[in-house]
Amino acid sequence: MHIQYGKKLKSGPGLLGLYLLIFWAAVALAGFFLTPYAPEAYAGKAFLPPSAAHWLGTNDVGQDLLSQLMAGARTSLGVAIGAAFVSALLGALLGAGGTLVGGSVERLTVRMMDVGLVIPPILAAMLAAAYLQPGSFTLIGILAFFFWPGTGRLLRSQTLLLRESGPVTAARTFGAGRWYLLRRHVLPDLAPVLSAAMIHDARRAVFLEAGLAFLGISDPLAQSWGRMIQQALAFTYLDAWSWWLLPPGIAVSSLVLAFALIGTGLEETHAAD
Amino acid sequence: MRISRLLTDYAIAFFLLCSLGFVLPRLLPGDPFLAIYGEEAALSMTPEMKAEIYRRFALDQSWGTQFVAYFASLLRADLGWSYYFNAPVGKVMAGFLPWTILLAGASLLISTVGGFVLGLESGSRKGSRWDKGLFAGLMLVGGVPDFFVGALLLLGFAVIWPLFPLGGAVTVYGGQAGWAWGLDVLRHLALPLASLVLARMTTLYLLCRNSAALLLKAPFLRTARSKGCDEGSIRYRHLGRSVLLPAATSAGLHLSHLFAGILMIEVVFGYPGMGTLLHRALAARDYPLLQGILLLASVTVLGVNFFVELLYPILDPRVKTACISNTERS
Repeated sequence: MHIQYGKKLKSGPGLLGLYLLIFWAAVALAGFFLTPYAPEAYAGKAFLPPSAAHWLGTNDVGQDLLSQLMAGARTSLGVAIGAAFVSALLGALLGAGGTLVGGSVERLTVRMMDVGLVIPPILAAMLAAAYLQPGSFTLIGILAFFFWPGTGRLLRSQTLLLRESGPVTAARTFGAGRWYLLRRHVLPDLAPVLSAAMIHDARRAVFLEAGLAFLGISDPLAQSWGRMIQQALAFTYLDAWSWWLLPPGIAVSSLVLAFALIGTGLEETHAAD
Repeated sequence: MRISRLLTDYAIAFFLLCSLGFVLPRLLPGDPFLAIYGEEAALSMTPEMKAEIYRRFALDQSWGTQFVAYFASLLRADLGWSYYFNAPVGKVMAGFLPWTILLAGASLLISTVGGFVLGLESGSRKGSRWDKGLFAGLMLVGGVPDFFVGALLLLGFAVIWPLFPLGGAVTVYGGQAGWAWGLDVLRHLALPLASLVLARMTTLYLLCRNSAALLLKAPFLRTARSKGCDEGSIRYRHLGRSVLLPAATSAGLHLSHLFAGILMIEVVFGYPGMGTLLHRALAARDYPLLQGILLLASVTVLGVNFFVELLYPILDPRVKTACISNTERS
């Protein structure tokens, strides 16, 4: 049952999610070199409403909000993709790998996952982040550290099924080694579960990155949608909220929604298989 | 066997969580005293106080001794000294805790009942226009981060259309008593509560909708129908009962999301609970206070989840070996 990825996400919610994700990926890429102003630079008068020079207006110290929004997309997507990949890597190595190796290694990895699943990831990540004041890379590490047991557990249950399946037993009788089995027979069939887990982790990472920045538990110099919302909330008595608070909020929500929709779309294609 | 394994898992998790608070500040370069308490605290403390803290946490001893001292003080529920409030951390938290308990309890109750009823109604009419509309609407709301839901409600119902107060838990110097005071508390509670319920209801709604839809063709429902039960009684007394228990346990297992949501929503509305306290602790770099709040939240979650997992096979006899699926636990 090697799955054809081209056939996936061709309809309904999954496709909508994919378009949303592509849109934000494009914005994030543009955020690297095409921001109209430097996100932290003084670009104009304070509280300018949207105009041709500042599409989304300026904030209380005259920073250009469109530039900040684009830089925020960079942070948000970067952290989401990074955390999803590192968590998938750890999950595959310890969840699927440990199960294939068997014996005491398997027992150890299972115990690690069981304990890890018990720890509430959001609160633990907050505690860790509060001390480390993380930049993007540290944040990816923290999130992946608390996310991987979920991914690992999913991969393990799938690997348990695969371990006893026909192709794997056949390959083993021909003398295939563990590494070969993992690479050739197990990983390809883990892909559907793995992709679903990664989408799930990416969604949580967007949520948490914004949430931590909102609470002020992150690198104060990093651009983040959560931080924009936090700063804008202090000025609700002015009209500035309509161009300062709403855009980053809609941005986080639509990115979270994009991942949720893709996840639902993937589930539906799996169910149809 | 199962219980002892569960107990070990939770004990290790508890130990690891507590150790986080020990290891992290010591990972930072420099004097552990500065890392734990921050520079502002070091400046504002008297030498006697510093000496007392050094003694209590054995900061001039080896890491091993420090760890034992740290754990011993945790077990005595001694979370350290908040320099910002100039009081023991436990005492500071106790002052803010009641408001958070009020908010947490009310939102847990309303979002559980709401998610259950809507999920059941939606799932038992799966495919209808009603179901599709509700599903799409709640999926949309569920994707919005808690603090943004809060910000929108704040803008809509306190700034633009000033139905509710902007923040706080009671009118300051209002001097109300009795019924007027209770009404005032409810008016302040309304918006934070509504934000939390909106942001948190979707998970349970989806769970109930799915389990209800899966059971629609179950024989026991056909039996009930052929006995002549009316639709309402079938939906709630027959279908509802089978959906209720997984729903209740799921509500317990998602407590950590609720707590994280509360911390953020409180900041939006300046609601004087643990979230606002956390925010102040962060701004003032009052690390012992910060650690106390997050440890209390995660240990509560740990305790409730342990309890739920213990009760699971008793609540739902269909599950002989309690194996709560992975997505549930995340």
